[in-house]
Amino acid sequence: MTVGGGGAAAPSALDPKKLRIYGIVGSVVGIYLAAALNSALNTNLFSFVGAVAAIFGVVLGANSVRRICAYGIGTGVPSIGMLALGMGIVAAMFGLSVAEELGFGYLGVIITLVYALVFGYIIGVIANKVIKFNIPIMEEGNSDLSAAGAMAILGWCFAVSGSLSYSEIVSKVLMTGYIAIIFIAGGLAILHPFNANLGPDEKQDRTLVNSVMVGGMAMIATGICALLTQGIMPGLLQIVIGFVIWYYFYMWYYRLVKRDASAVVGTGLLPPSAL
Amino acid sequence: MNLDATTLVYILEIVVGGLLVGIGVHFVPVGGAPAAMAQATGIGTGTVQLAAGSGLTGLLAAGLMMSVTDNIWPILASGAVGAMIMIDATMLGGIWIYAYAVGVPMASAKVIYDPITGYSQPPYVAAGTVGQGIPTVCYISGTIGAAMGGIGGAMIYYPLMNINGNAALSAIFAIGIFLVNAVLASWNIQGTIEGFHDPKFKKWPFAFRACAVASILLALAAVSITGGA
Repeated sequence: MTVGGGGAAAPSALDPKKLRIYGIVGSVVGIYLAAALNSALNTNLFSFVGAVAAIFGVVLGANSVRRICAYGIGTGVPSIGMLALGMGIVAAMFGLSVAEELGFGYLGVIITLVYALVFGYIIGVIANKVIKFNIPIMEEGNSDLSAAGAMAILGWCFAVSGSLSYSEIVSKVLMTGYIAIIFIAGGLAILHPFNANLGPDEKQDRTLVNSVMVGGMAMIATGICALLTQGIMPGLLQIVIGFVIWYYFYMWYYRLVKRDASAVVGTGLLPPSAL
Repeated sequence: MNLDATTLVYILEIVVGGLLVGIGVHFVPVGGAPAAMAQATGIGTGTVQLAAGSGLTGLLAAGLMMSVTDNIWPILASGAVGAMIMIDATMLGGIWIYAYAVGVPMASAKVIYDPITGYSQPPYVAAGTVGQGIPTVCYISGTIGAAMGGIGGAMIYYPLMNINGNAALSAIFAIGIFLVNAVLASWNIQGTIEGFHDPKFKKWPFAFRACAVASILLALAAVSITGGA
């Protein structure tokens, strides 16, 4: 595959450390808030909060994809998105299962996060030391990526199942096969923004706005799944909010594209000779 | 999780499966974007897409076999055959397109004589390219790689299924382990490779070490999860 971006570190307006804190805190707090609201009010209307929380993780993931891929990894951007989701799914299932075995179902998010951060860091070390990438931010980048993948999967699993309990997620998300939708939609939300925007004029805000936009689309997809697992109201709420997020960020993204493009011209319909 | 002999065997199986996936990736002729434009040898897409395609087909085949028997050998064989069919069909389709639509001869730029057929290669390599299409040696190499990937996928799926007894959970977990190993291996070959005759193939020990470390960590997580419900 072609190598994306230039050789040097990607310029960014938002500091990666700040984004990491926003991403991790936002997604963890969001998932817990959603779980608490759902169980306190004995409803599953607030499942959409989990899907919104996943978008925080996605933004973190998209930012670390652009940081790592700006060095050029030689295998194309999609590979790193799949790696993020591969690490994320293992971490999410491990965390939820271990928490349930320990008897504290709510600890699942924290265990998932810790496992993801540690595992991602080790993958980064392997990439630098064994495969000899020598990319200075590989360790922290992979750590972020793994955490982002895990949080995105966890958030959307919650959005579909409406519960943080492992058995509920297994029966409502995994056994039904909706995990495949989460896997690919989540992967796209993390890998697509940089893949679509890469090049010498790649700008951080444009890439991240694109990631929220794709996250909104993924939320529409999980909303459709939620229609079937949780009922009409929670599902519709998710679809509507997902659509609003998508529309708002799509318009924002379009403004940024117009800002960065030298010109945007309408080509009109196909010329008569092409029809 | 209780660490007894059976669990250790499961961990070992998952690690071996991960290693097979990692090494198998080195056999698959991955051409990337240049191959898609017929300017390099191999299949015109990325490693992960190919590894995932063949591995998931292998996983499906293994899962189907596992629903009728518990014996490991037919399950591994079924996984291997599933993955081989997938990659071979992809390569065959690619060859038709290269030969009849793009109009290029299949030629490798990495060797002077095809190690399988003995045909001379350089006269057929177009100027400014590094080979085109999928020559015989790449085809054979890709089939071997797919077999290894398929066996690896099945070897990850089999112990997971025995541990948690939940097909959906095992499958998605196996996909996770598979993707991590495939991406590490594809980083090792830096995107493109022709097969076992490519000089880059000699780098496989690095991928072996990387995948071994990653697989052990993944296996430890894998044996401690339960099937839920």
